[in-house]
Amino acid sequence: IRVWWCSKRVIMGDNIMTYNGGCSVAMVGKDCVAIASDRRFGLRQQTLACDNERIFRINDRTFIALNGLGTDVETFIEKLCFRLNLYKFRESRDIAPRTLGSLVSNMLYEKRFGPYFVEPVIAGLEVDKATGAVTPFVTAQDLIGAPCFPGNFVVGGTCSESLYGMCESLWRPDMEPDDLFETVSQALLASLDRDCLSGWGAVVHVITPDSITTKTLKARMD
Amino acid sequence: RRSVHIIMSRRYDSRTTMFSPEGRLFQGEYAMAAISEAGLCVGILAGDGIVLAGEKKVVSEVLDNTGTAEKMYQIDDHIASAVAGITADANILINQTRLVAQRYRYRYQAPMPVEQLIQQICDTKQGYTQYGGLRPFGVSLLYGGWDRHYGFQLMSSDPSGNYAGWKAHSIGAHNQGANSILKQDWVRGHVTGGVQEAGRQGHEQD
Repeated sequence: IRVWWCSKRVIMGDNIMTYNGGCSVAMVGKDCVAIASDRRFGLRQQTLACDNERIFRINDRTFIALNGLGTDVETFIEKLCFRLNLYKFRESRDIAPRTLGSLVSNMLYEKRFGPYFVEPVIAGLEVDKATGAVTPFVTAQDLIGAPCFPGNFVVGGTCSESLYGMCESLWRPDMEPDDLFETVSQALLASLDRDCLSGWGAVVHVITPDSITTKTLKARMD
Repeated sequence: RRSVHIIMSRRYDSRTTMFSPEGRLFQGEYAMAAISEAGLCVGILAGDGIVLAGEKKVVSEVLDNTGTAEKMYQIDDHIASAVAGITADANILINQTRLVAQRYRYRYQAPMPVEQLIQQICDTKQGYTQYGGLRPFGVSLLYGGWDRHYGFQLMSSDPSGNYAGWKAHSIGAHNQGANSILKQDWVRGHVTGGVQEAGRQGHEQD
């Protein structure tokens, strides 16, 4: 048997996290959160799909977006579903966003020395069972599960530096859902357009205690 | 001679993995005796669904039973089960069943067919009657589930690891009486309203 051996460098290029492309952002508003991502899936410069789903609805109050290597995004979400179903049936309740963050962090760190090449962005509404008060929550992690809890916005993906800049400029506290939608969309689109590895439209979810609004944005389709 | 026979058969029931001279597995039968003390569970299969009902026995006024389930457990999105027997044993089995269902779902990205799931759990239960020297699980389960191959299915399993598909069945205390009522009153193709009524009747037999 002849075995063909190729180094990862030859196939994936110099950065495995930019091989497929893609980006996402999550922002906190007044009693609401928004999470948005682009829809491109490619192999380096070649675009293969314009309808890639990067954001996954965990439950009505919790969403997760996974950036990074496409195959690991797929596998990680399958493994996450495994754990989340067990949580749902054992605890007889939906998982809270903060708890999901801890679970994801734990799963990623388990593979500390051979990680999943994904960078999660989590957005959701924490509900206080006693008072019914709703607290918006966002968190993002690196590929080995180191979380951050900034309280305003989190970003991830190939154009994350641009997204940081756009969010810093546009974000302000206590935005209503419509305002939040506009802000997230503008921040994402402005960053996408300058990144050749992200684009081909965007999808935005705005989560409030009563509803989830999903909108697809058409931008420069390139 | 008769009393000698009884003394002899006792010799075969402390070992779970041995047959008695009459070809019985006494530990399995003793497990069934434990289950016949537990609250009744009734299941009925209809054309458009399954009704599972479980009788919760109020053991004490001061018992706080708001948290954990006692009778009804959801296994996966498409399968639920009612249990009768030792709750501690049931918890172990239910946990294992949930893991089996999720492993299938992860591997095949599809919900596990109902009979396959029950078969796998029953294989585990059977193991406890053949090797290991451990006692069997003192639980009978009634499963209600749906899959795209066989539609709605109602199944039950017992400590021996046997399972069967049913149109209507009950397990637990007074299940013989409930089963005979279900047999008499069974009409093929009952709508769900009738199913709930028959379930209620089965319960009232206590």
